[in-house]
Order: sequence, then structure tokens, then C-alpha cells
Amino acid sequence: MSWISRLATQAPVPVFVAIGDDAPPQTARLALHTGLTLVDSPRAAAILLVAGTIPDALIPHLHRLHDQFPHPRASVLWQSSQPDLLPAAIVAANTVDIVSVLTETRDALLSGAHKTEPDILPDAPLNEWRRIGPHGQGGEGMMGGTPYGRPMAMTADDMRDGLKLDAYTADFGPFLPMFPPGLVLTLTLQGDVIQKVAVVHPPFDVDWNQGVSLLRLLGLPGLADRLLRNGLTASATQTRLIRWSGARAAIPPGLGRTHDGSDVRDRFDRLIADPANPKAPHIDGIHLTDLLVGLEWHEAMLVLNSFDTGALQRICANGGDGDDQRDTETIHASHVGHGS
Amino acid sequence: MTTLIAIVFVLGLSVLFTAALRAAAGADVAGPATAPQQRPVLGGSDPQTHAWQRFHVRYYTMTLLFVAFEMEMMFMYPWAVVFVEEGVKALAEMGMFLVILSVGILYGWREGIFRWE
Repeated sequence: MSWISRLATQAPVPVFVAIGDDAPPQTARLALHTGLTLVDSPRAAAILLVAGTIPDALIPHLHRLHDQFPHPRASVLWQSSQPDLLPAAIVAANTVDIVSVLTETRDALLSGAHKTEPDILPDAPLNEWRRIGPHGQGGEGMMGGTPYGRPMAMTADDMRDGLKLDAYTADFGPFLPMFPPGLVLTLTLQGDVIQKVAVVHPPFDVDWNQGVSLLRLLGLPGLADRLLRNGLTASATQTRLIRWSGARAAIPPGLGRTHDGSDVRDRFDRLIADPANPKAPHIDGIHLTDLLVGLEWHEAMLVLNSFDTGALQRICANGGDGDDQRDTETIHASHVGHGS
Repeated sequence: MTTLIAIVFVLGLSVLFTAALRAAAGADVAGPATAPQQRPVLGGSDPQTHAWQRFHVRYYTMTLLFVAFEMEMMFMYPWAVVFVEEGVKALAEMGMFLVILSVGILYGWREGIFRWE
């Protein structure tokens, strides 16, 4: 091992956590460990930690995520009943100390004892480039056509001020750090304003602390860690610190209002004051479209993270506009770039 | 001659430093990004359209305001020196200049510059 690799072993292990169904309850508390850095992007990580079970429909998503990690990389399956989920992954039972498994794996990667994991998907573009031509492969000038099999973004109505500009459509999730675990949405964006929403996959049935997620989204990781450390026990000091931080004022009033009149601010107050008994919002008949369309990205993330898993699953089940709903199987069949 | 030697020395030192950094980090070991690595990070999903798109630069009115105030300040510093010698004449000239600029600010105000969106 070179001196620089030895030096690198002293640093916290950069880990990206992909939370699956039935993820171990300790997963959230990994953020508190000083030996680990939980990163928000696979590009900043060396190890992919898959916690829990990944449903068959989302395995292609996990493979795509895996291949985005830079080399040298490794993956660890924690409490997973699918040992062949990732071909070269290390399997860890729930009983082991996961932090030491991650640290040993990183050290082995740096010393060369653990070889970097190869790609699962083929090293080829999603769709083949067939030059500009009369068959719609590539457009004229800047716009039009479908280069690499994907259409160029074209103009669409803007709900903010009517200025027609390009709309961007993409699937987001299920392993996006600012999304509740497992949630996959097809979003159409103009700039950062959400124009259309369709649910592809509802969130997993995992327990996660929405108060912690909201504080992280508001840029207060120190207070989020403090809340996480205290678990569901409310403390006067903690409530006072959060109140003084001005986090509540940073949430726009009236955001994500439900039928009972409660908004994100109300739900945030309740999560901070009495984390053990979050108030169940009245969400009958509310669609995700009603909640998210017209919001900017950061507002939409606050709305999504202000609901508990059960409420969000029910909202997703309520559906939205009929035309926006797409069958999960159809979507996965259309991912032609996936080689597995 | 001494200056030339110093320049060559600093240049050589920076080349050496950069080369050492690249060698230590193994900058070329990973190689070019593969096709899956070139996809945007969407948490495992794929985009349906290309990312090449036009969108509204909504901060342009703010830049207008910035330019208006910046031009004021840019001319006011040298003007402060001249003002000592010229007196009231310089004050009148600067007043005219500020009036012209404030027309720009008033226009911006009408356009909603001060409304944060």
C-alpha cells in the first residue's frame, strides 16, 4: 500500500446508501457515525451499501446506480435476501457490525486486496447514434429529432408567466437522497418548476424520521443529527434550538396544504414538538399532482418529506390525471439500455 | 536576468507540483467515463429527453439593477477626487449622471426588479 493510500484509510469511508424494503432500522443512524460519510451522489462514493430488499421491478435501477460509481468501487448487501442482486457484492448479515465491514472493504479496495467491481451494464449509449438523417435520429440545427433515441426537449406551456420554453421529463428515484426511499416519480420540469407528475413506484414501507429529512433539506445537518440522536424523545432544548434556527420561517406558509388545512409548517411543528405522535393529515382524495404541480423543486421536496410513509403511500395510490399514470412494467420494459 | 531565472524557477516548480499531484492521485487510472457513468444521476432512473434545453434566465432583471448601481460606484470613486478641485460644477455633473442612471432603476422598478420570485 502506497503512503497516499495509507493516508486515505484514515479518512471517513464515503458511502452511498440505497435503502430498500425492510431496511434495518439502524440504517438511518449510520449518519451519526464519525467513521462514515454518507454522500448524496454515487460519484462521491467508494462503496454502495444496499440496505434491505430491492423489489424485482427496481433491480434495473440499482444496476444503473451501481455502474455510476467511480473506480475503485465495492458494494455491500446488508440484510438482503437476494445474494445475487449485484454479482460481486459482499453480503453482510444484520447481526454484524456494518461500520467495520464498510471500513474493511474500503481498506481492501485501497490496498488492492479487493478488486474494483466491473460494470453490470454494457459500456454503450442507451440508444445507438445513427447520424443526422431523414429518420428522426438527429435534428436540424439545435432542436428537433431524437439523437441517441431520446427526443430533444421542446417548448411547452409555462404555468409561471406564460413564457414557453423547453420542458424536461425524467424519472427520479428510487435511490435519490432527497426522496423518500423507493419513491419513483416521472416529473416534467420547466427550469425548477414542476409541470407534471406521475407515480411510477410508491415509497417503501420503511420507518424514517421526516423531521430529520426536513431539517437536512433546510440546510441544518447539525440539528438533524441532534434530532436523530435523540430519536423520538422530544427535549425542550432541542425544540428551542430548532425554533431559534429559523427553520420554520424558511418553509413557505400554506405549502402542501391538505383537506384539514394543515401545511408543511404545521406538520414540521408537530414532528419537532412531539416526534412520537405525528398528526395524521387528512389526505382522502388528494393526488400528488394537487400537491406538487406548480411548486419549485425545493418546495416539492419539503412537501414529499413532510408526510410519513403510510400517508405518502396512500397519496400515491390516489393516483393523478389518468393520462399521466403509466404501468410500471411498461416503463421497465422500455429501458432498452439495461443489459441484465 | 535574476527575474528571468525566478520566472523559470517558479514555472518549473509548478510543473513539478502538478505532475506530482497527478502521479499521486493516479489521475489517469480510472480512464474516461463509461456510458453508464455519463448518464445523469437521477437515483437509478433514466431521463426521457436530452438535457440540452432552453430555459428562462429569470435573474436578468437583478443583473440590470446590479449594473446600474455598479456604474454609479465605478464613476463616483474618481469623481470624489475631482470634486475637491472642481467643487459645485463636479457636483452638478454627477447629479445629471445619477439622474440618467436612476431612470434605469425606475424602469427596473416598474418591471418588478424588487419583487423576489
